Amino acid sequence: MRRRLLLSLGGAASAAAILRNGTARAQAQNWPDRPVKLLLPYAPGGATDLMGRPWAEKLSQAFGQQFVIENRGGAGGMIGTEAAAKSPPDGYTLFFAPGATLTTLPILRKTPYDPIKSFTPIARMGDLVCGFVINPAAGPKTLHETIAYAKQNPGKLAFGSAGLGTSSQMRIEMLKFRAKVDILHVPYRGSADALNDLLPNTVQMMNEINVLPHVKAGKLILLNINYPTRHPEFPDVATLTELGLPDSDVPVWFSLLAPAGTPMAIVEKLNAKAREIAASDDMKARMRAINVVIPLQSPEQIAQHLVADIAATGNLIRDANIKLE
Amino acid sequence: MIRRIKGSQDLTAGAMFVAIGLLAIVVGRDYPLGSWQRPGTGVLPMILAWCLVGIGGVITIKGLLIRGAGLLDGVWAWRPVIMVTLAGLAFALLVNDGGLVVSMVVSMAICAAGTPETRWREFAIFSVIMVVIGVALFIKGLGMPIKVFPWN
Amino acid sequence: MELSDLFANLSLGFSVALSPGNVFWCLTGALVGTAIGVLPGVGPVATMALLLPTTYYLPPEGALIMLAGIYYGAQYGGSTTAILINLPGESSSVVTVLDGYQMAKQGRAGAALAISAIGSFFAGCVATIVIAVAAPPLTLVAQKFAPADYCSLMVLGLVFAIVLARGSILKAFGMVFLGMLLGLVGTDVNTGNLRYSFGISDLFDGIGFVPLVMGLFGMAEIMANMTSTERRDLVTAKVTGLMPTREDLKTSAMPILRGTVLGGFLGILPGGGAVLASFSAYTLEKKLAKDPSRFGHGAIEGVAGPEAANNAAAQTSFIPMLTLGIPSNAVMAMMIGGMMIHGIVPGPQVMQERPGLFWGMIASMWVGNLMLIVLNLPMIGLWVRMLMVPYRLLSVAILFFCCIGVYSLNNSANEVLFIAAFGLLGYLFFKLDCEPAPLLLGFILGPLLEVYMRRAMLLSRGDAMVFLERPLSLSFLVLAGLLLAIVLLPNIRKAREVAFVE
Repeated sequence: MRRRLLLSLGGAASAAAILRNGTARAQAQNWPDRPVKLLLPYAPGGATDLMGRPWAEKLSQAFGQQFVIENRGGAGGMIGTEAAAKSPPDGYTLFFAPGATLTTLPILRKTPYDPIKSFTPIARMGDLVCGFVINPAAGPKTLHETIAYAKQNPGKLAFGSAGLGTSSQMRIEMLKFRAKVDILHVPYRGSADALNDLLPNTVQMMNEINVLPHVKAGKLILLNINYPTRHPEFPDVATLTELGLPDSDVPVWFSLLAPAGTPMAIVEKLNAKAREIAASDDMKARMRAINVVIPLQSPEQIAQHLVADIAATGNLIRDANIKLE
Repeated sequence: MIRRIKGSQDLTAGAMFVAIGLLAIVVGRDYPLGSWQRPGTGVLPMILAWCLVGIGGVITIKGLLIRGAGLLDGVWAWRPVIMVTLAGLAFALLVNDGGLVVSMVVSMAICAAGTPETRWREFAIFSVIMVVIGVALFIKGLGMPIKVFPWN
Repeated sequence: MELSDLFANLSLGFSVALSPGNVFWCLTGALVGTAIGVLPGVGPVATMALLLPTTYYLPPEGALIMLAGIYYGAQYGGSTTAILINLPGESSSVVTVLDGYQMAKQGRAGAALAISAIGSFFAGCVATIVIAVAAPPLTLVAQKFAPADYCSLMVLGLVFAIVLARGSILKAFGMVFLGMLLGLVGTDVNTGNLRYSFGISDLFDGIGFVPLVMGLFGMAEIMANMTSTERRDLVTAKVTGLMPTREDLKTSAMPILRGTVLGGFLGILPGGGAVLASFSAYTLEKKLAKDPSRFGHGAIEGVAGPEAANNAAAQTSFIPMLTLGIPSNAVMAMMIGGMMIHGIVPGPQVMQERPGLFWGMIASMWVGNLMLIVLNLPMIGLWVRMLMVPYRLLSVAILFFCCIGVYSLNNSANEVLFIAAFGLLGYLFFKLDCEPAPLLLGFILGPLLEVYMRRAMLLSRGDAMVFLERPLSLSFLVLAGLLLAIVLLPNIRKAREVAFVE
């Protein structure tokens, strides 16, 4: 009697499981049948936001459902990333992820999420293309001159970053480490703040996209490009590899992620559409205007890139002995 | 004893500053001080906390020596203080699950209970007007993500 | 720049700003801005963030003109709440509360509102001309400021906080220190360490200005007013004349002029300069006045000067954004976002590449200010009548607007819990006769002071002499010292006399 009861209970449980799977599959097929939330871990108006908005618009058009950006800033992106990691994996909350919240933050401090286990990669959203700039008043005019100058005058050049643990800090740490020079790192609250001290030569160097208009206006010198390929607007400026410093780049890249456990059917659907959008001329032109290039990648390739970037950043942070304090 | 204190209001204010300053010193005792080139997390908090203790001490002494206002001058009415605080708490606790209408009505009613002048019939009409304004302005107008009713 | 160029540029600007579409967007922005400015706690930054995505569908000129309209509309609206119900919605209107609310209590709310609108309008007109004539050279002046200079400027600002105290100087000192400590709560931006957050995750990003103000001013004021009927009957009892008298206008003329100059200059400085505008204008007026004791008890100069200053600063804070693409505050960061949504890269090239946009925006500022004064002066009667609402109902409405205003910032219910706590603290301050205004100044300037101090030390490679070696920094420090001495000496003398008499 008791055994039969157990059996029937088990049967009911497995039937429920099948039913649940069935509805999950059906949900994935109908997805999206309501608006999709796109969590973005920084405040509106910043570079991430500016990349996210055209994407939200294009994805909305492609799927016939609104993709709504929700800015959840704070604690260097940690708060928004945590919120994304803890969202239900139903495909209706996606995460517009800046690389640093996955690769740098978890190494420098205890984060309430795991960059690999908490998320499923969907698509590459784009990479920022820029490089080191120097104020002409500082003296050196090329990357090699800058390195030579820094070797002769250790600690005399100052580099302004957007803040502690940001990718621009990682870039100067990488340059210091590879070229074996001493340059003072000055953290600012955002790149605008740093630019304000770069123009009057209070700090001499930066590596952020907001300096590029000033390079065009002839007020600053672009020394190199931190990317595998050159910047279309500055075809004469060489990449780090071309300048004899291979593997010295810290990529600034963005991807679309979903909370771990999101149905693969949805992930694949999204990846296909995102690649289609990224390949379109209109999107390419709009991204170029904000110094962004979008590599086309599958979810697996993004996962590999993420693992590799975490390892590389970890090595740099260890070798260069970077701490928050 | 109390009679010997010349300005109990100053004395209390001074003691409050000293207490907060000491708390800040104790809580912040392990914040790193860094170096001259890189002043650490603890530098300004420690400077401020000691300044607070110092100024609090001076105010305390002033309260002991110089005639001033008494702490018990004027009315200490507890009813409005408690009710207004509770009204704020009620709004915070109800707004997410209860929606705007419930949180508004409950918090405004608690606030109104803070003063004996409240005429409840008048309050009822007024709160209906306020709820309509609130929903129209904040949910319809500014598009804030709050539900209107608990069951929405 | 040639004068003829200027006229050509301005006429191009006005042709853009006065096109029917753009006039409409300017009006929309000014109206929305005034409305959210009047609502306690709902500020221009949150509103612009909400509206930013929709500006995508407008032409770029219309979008930026509307966003700018929201900003200076909110400046006008913010003063209304500050004067009528003692609730500063923005850091710039903290000072307006001091004498504006006292004027309202004396039945002169209409005069206070009118003088604030007139002062703002005058300042707005002058600042618009300044931007048109001298934006590029002023940008260069702003760049003379190094971190050490900013640090000393913040020290000067903190001394202003002591000067504007109405009662005990000692308590004002205590409140400034306490405010600075409160400002340091949360994550230390330079190191990532947490300070005084007691493990509460809502404190990791620090205490918000709005919850603090809504608690200390809004909630505490309700408690205090419910306690004593005589305290608030003053507000509702007698309302005399809606418009300022000829005497008022005469008294206010010079303060408005001085406020405009001071605010216009401080507004150019990126990174916290504009915050100081209203505080420094108040300090200046209080020091220049024949009878400084009137300040804090309804002196019209205490409204006129700071209001002109904060509107001038709001306007000139566009300069670094327009000429360099550098946002000097959160609102300007929104404007930059608005530009980039339309594919316009902010930077020095905007002036050459998009002259219609550049000059159109400048011209629209004047158009917007004109609209605002035309809108606001007739509204004064309505606002003042609002004070006739019995306090038992007004208090309930204020409570609700405080709560929802704080909630609107981050959609966070926990921040509403904070205002309840700050309300209690505010009532305690009230009973202990500790003024909250110096605390707020410390709260705003403390974190800025720390950032600039550390940056200056880092860049000077640990040499503290940098604060004395730079002429700008030194002169700010000397000025701060002098001001402090002027404020302190009479008090010390008085205290000694009293002590000896006892």
